[in-house]
Amino acid sequence: MLGTVLRIALIVSSLLTAGFMLRHIRSAKVQIKDSVFWIIFSFFILLLSLFPNIAGWASNLLGIASPINFVFLFIIFVLLVHQFYASVRISQMETKMKLLAQQIALDEKDRQDKES
Amino acid sequence: MRVLVVIPAYNEEESLPAVIQNLQMVCPEYDYVVVNDGSKDSTAVLCAQNGYNVINLPINLGLAGAFQAGIRYAQNHGYDAAIQFDADGQHLPQYIKPLVQKLAEGNDIAIGSRFVTVKKPKSLRMLGSYIISFAMRFTTGKKICDPTSGMRIFNRRMINEFADNLNYAPEPDTISYLLRNGATIAEIQVEMAERTAGASYFTMVRSMRYMAEMTISILLIQWFRKRELADKSHKNKGEK
Repeated sequence: MLGTVLRIALIVSSLLTAGFMLRHIRSAKVQIKDSVFWIIFSFFILLLSLFPNIAGWASNLLGIASPINFVFLFIIFVLLVHQFYASVRISQMETKMKLLAQQIALDEKDRQDKES
Repeated sequence: MRVLVVIPAYNEEESLPAVIQNLQMVCPEYDYVVVNDGSKDSTAVLCAQNGYNVINLPINLGLAGAFQAGIRYAQNHGYDAAIQFDADGQHLPQYIKPLVQKLAEGNDIAIGSRFVTVKKPKSLRMLGSYIISFAMRFTTGKKICDPTSGMRIFNRRMINEFADNLNYAPEPDTISYLLRNGATIAEIQVEMAERTAGASYFTMVRSMRYMAEMTISILLIQWFRKRELADKSHKNKGEK
């Protein structure tokens, strides 16, 4: 079983995560599609801490000795997947940015050559 | 053969004038373009004042991005060959002609190598070079004496590949990939000067990181790349 203090900590941190993300949306600092992941993520953490039986059932199923280890595993796994997609997106963004910068420079060069 | 000398420059105001002057004196027959890679010093002003042929990138893209901008310029203006030439004075212009000659003989790529006839020193500094050489030999069967030399010339076919594609940094792993896909390569012996001004980009930590990246890329990652034929994708470009 998950300890009471841990459950409270998890509930508080999941609420904080969701609140933090929503505040960023309010002040237009993050795109909604990027915040959706964190809202769902904090919802699941909330779920796990409100209903500790879920962790107990899942750790039984997977053969994990303690439910808390399942909670850790779950969080690590979800974050890894998210990190992977973030890497891919950064890569694509860098490529696009590079192309744009080159295009601006080349166009500017052509424009100046035509003037002179 | 119309040849473009691509000179990526990041904060090279001290060495650039001498490099351009030397280049125009030794090989006036070749065009050049300086790619000012978002320099923070007065490289841009210097180029404008002296009337250099310059492309000013609005932000710093790094060597690969700057070189690619030059390559795209070469492609847009129909050059037959483009050579990567350092702005710090390490590359000597008298070796451009023999490199162009190697392309005229039918090679896709020619490298100005420090170690064709000269023995590569067995120093810690050259350890990376040895490892990359070995990795390339292992995966392509070709012996490249000086894989990290930045003095490389590319023909039209290669220009089109470099201009259009992702993951085409002018580095040993790209060379290795191209070799495996049937590009032909030649090396000629060149001398290189010590850099005339400024600090080298390669610190100890960066060198080690570069070496690790290159080795992993050549030995592992390049096998999984999908072949994109530039000859096909290139058509109708430049009309946009």
